[in-house]
Amino acid sequence: MRVLVVEDEVRLANNIAEALRERCGFAVDCAEDGTDGAAMTEFKHYDLLLLDLMLPGLDGLSIVRQVRRRKDMTPILILTARDQPAQVVELLNAGADDYLTKPFDLGELLARAKALIRRGKGAPQPELTVGRISLNTVEQTVRCAGELIDLSPTEYRLLEYLIFRPRAIVSARELLEHLYDYNWQHHSNVIEAHVSNLRKKLRAVGEETTIATLRGRGYRLEAPEQQL
Amino acid sequence: MSAAAIRTHSLSRQLIGGVLLAELLCAALFSVVAIGHEMHGRRRAFDVMLRGRADSLLGAVQDAEDPEDNVTVDPTELALPAQDVYEVLNPAGRVLGHSPGSSANLLAALSSSRAPGTFNFRVGRERYRGVRFEGVRVIDREENGGYRRPVTVLYAAPTWYLWREAVEAVQFYLIASALLLAVTGIALVWFLRRRLSPLQELAEIAGRVSTRSWEFVPPAVVLRTAELAPIALSMEELLKGLQLAFERQRRLTGDAAHELKTSIAVLKSSLQLLSMSPRTAEQYEAGLEGLLLDTERMEELTGRMLTLARLEEAPAEQSELCDLQMVVREVVERLRPLAELKQIALDVNAAEARAVAMPAGDADMLCSNLIVNALQHSAANGRVSVVVQTLDGITQLRVSDQGDGIPESALPHVFERFYRADRSRSRASGGAGLGLSICKAIVERAGGTIQIHSERGTGTEVTVILPARQSMAQN
Repeated sequence: MRVLVVEDEVRLANNIAEALRERCGFAVDCAEDGTDGAAMTEFKHYDLLLLDLMLPGLDGLSIVRQVRRRKDMTPILILTARDQPAQVVELLNAGADDYLTKPFDLGELLARAKALIRRGKGAPQPELTVGRISLNTVEQTVRCAGELIDLSPTEYRLLEYLIFRPRAIVSARELLEHLYDYNWQHHSNVIEAHVSNLRKKLRAVGEETTIATLRGRGYRLEAPEQQL
Repeated sequence: MSAAAIRTHSLSRQLIGGVLLAELLCAALFSVVAIGHEMHGRRRAFDVMLRGRADSLLGAVQDAEDPEDNVTVDPTELALPAQDVYEVLNPAGRVLGHSPGSSANLLAALSSSRAPGTFNFRVGRERYRGVRFEGVRVIDREENGGYRRPVTVLYAAPTWYLWREAVEAVQFYLIASALLLAVTGIALVWFLRRRLSPLQELAEIAGRVSTRSWEFVPPAVVLRTAELAPIALSMEELLKGLQLAFERQRRLTGDAAHELKTSIAVLKSSLQLLSMSPRTAEQYEAGLEGLLLDTERMEELTGRMLTLARLEEAPAEQSELCDLQMVVREVVERLRPLAELKQIALDVNAAEARAVAMPAGDADMLCSNLIVNALQHSAANGRVSVVVQTLDGITQLRVSDQGDGIPESALPHVFERFYRADRSRSRASGGAGLGLSICKAIVERAGGTIQIHSERGTGTEVTVILPARQSMAQN
């Protein structure tokens, strides 16, 4: 999952980014002003937008309006130091999904971020299952019939992204865009290597669910018909 | 005094009452005059009638056919009203005859009048008007030229019906004026209510104004009223000014809260991040270092906010003098390392300057704020110049840079608290948008003015003008 943090207070942005990377395994990009932030939302790489309300250049509310005008459904969480009801109402009406007032609890921010991403992808519970595999987004663990599978952080993120969209074809490019931030050098064979490892680990526990490679098109999480 | 304790007077009620009272007085006066006039006429007619009846009484004086050759009165042939009273006396004062039905004290009251002419008297509750005259009755004119018999005739009649008749005569006018009074009273109430409605509307609209709802739009009817238009307009203006001041204050509090909350958010998130998972000693150390920096920034922010509050709260003390020249030199020397680090030339021209009425601490803060600002907005190889001079009793401090300048749209706001023309840049340089607000407060406290001129691409110049005091040498 990839998150965009638009916050002009650099220290705060770095703290949030660090926590999202560390605790949720998300790829995070930061923008210091509204104009840059708004431009970055246009790539549609993000699974969540975290916006400060008072920003130089373009304020959070304007970014929300821009994003929603493009029919972009990406979940938006607003950070604000002002919590007048009228302002909150305006924000939510403009298309923001949730808000947090500063100073907030970092743990709460992470929980809300995860919940928003989950719900944005149509899964209300933190646990997702395909076949015998169950993935817990809170613990960041994957089990096969109750047995823990040891995955690397990248493998976990890959499986997490795919499990939200079972049986859909996801391109390598999309995976790159959603799993890595701008600081990462993009090489599509990186994805191939991780997919291959993940496949091996699933097979090792005797799971029939696998990740199919569709040449030139991408990857697909496939489970035996009756189990999906 | 509480509002409830003040007795309120209704303007419209007072006006209506006043006008009705005036009308009532007019009607009463008119009635009195009318009745008086009527009475006067009737009294004259009454007098004539009295005299006529008395004369007819004189005709009733005749020979008594007695040895003393007396005369007597025989009114039997006269048709005189029964309630009238009369007496006929001979010159000796003997009563020749009197009204038959009259009581003794009525007759006594009648004869108490001694002077000829008309007179008034009362018996019991009855008022009478009488006439007394000396007449000569010639008896038996046919026989021998007649006997001349001088007599005094006293004749009186009750006057009570005069009043009744007078009132009856003017009754029409009285009823008419009472009706007129009622009709004009009702019309007046209606008219005044209608005419005074702008006043009520104004009061109602003014009553709706509160700190939550500032809307005050005087209705057109109020603005068309010559007496109310100035009140409404000045109220509108006053409220607009108040609303601006109120909103400014609210925004300011909001901005201050925003800054503080953001600072706290940084601290809190840093601490939470650090304690989220086990760290190495180096990571803890780096984290603590960051926290210390965050705390210092917060300290500076609160310090500046408190400084500003102190400058605006405390009354200006004009007694303290300081040598601006010296302060400028000190500040420049202190900031020279920063200028050198940024490769900016820092010029000072502080030749002739007299003392200014400003605490040395404030002067230091003013100069360093302005010079640091100029340094921050200058590019490498730029130049910042500081000039202090006294001319014609005013001391001028000018700080100019060759930076990018301030956008024209931002210029009117640069002295506002928490205003940042370029927030990201100012944040990076640690400012909270309070520096120029503090400068303005310091300068205004010393009775001076501060102005800023800026041109995009050329640079910015801040000019402070302060009233000069006697020089430090003389002091």
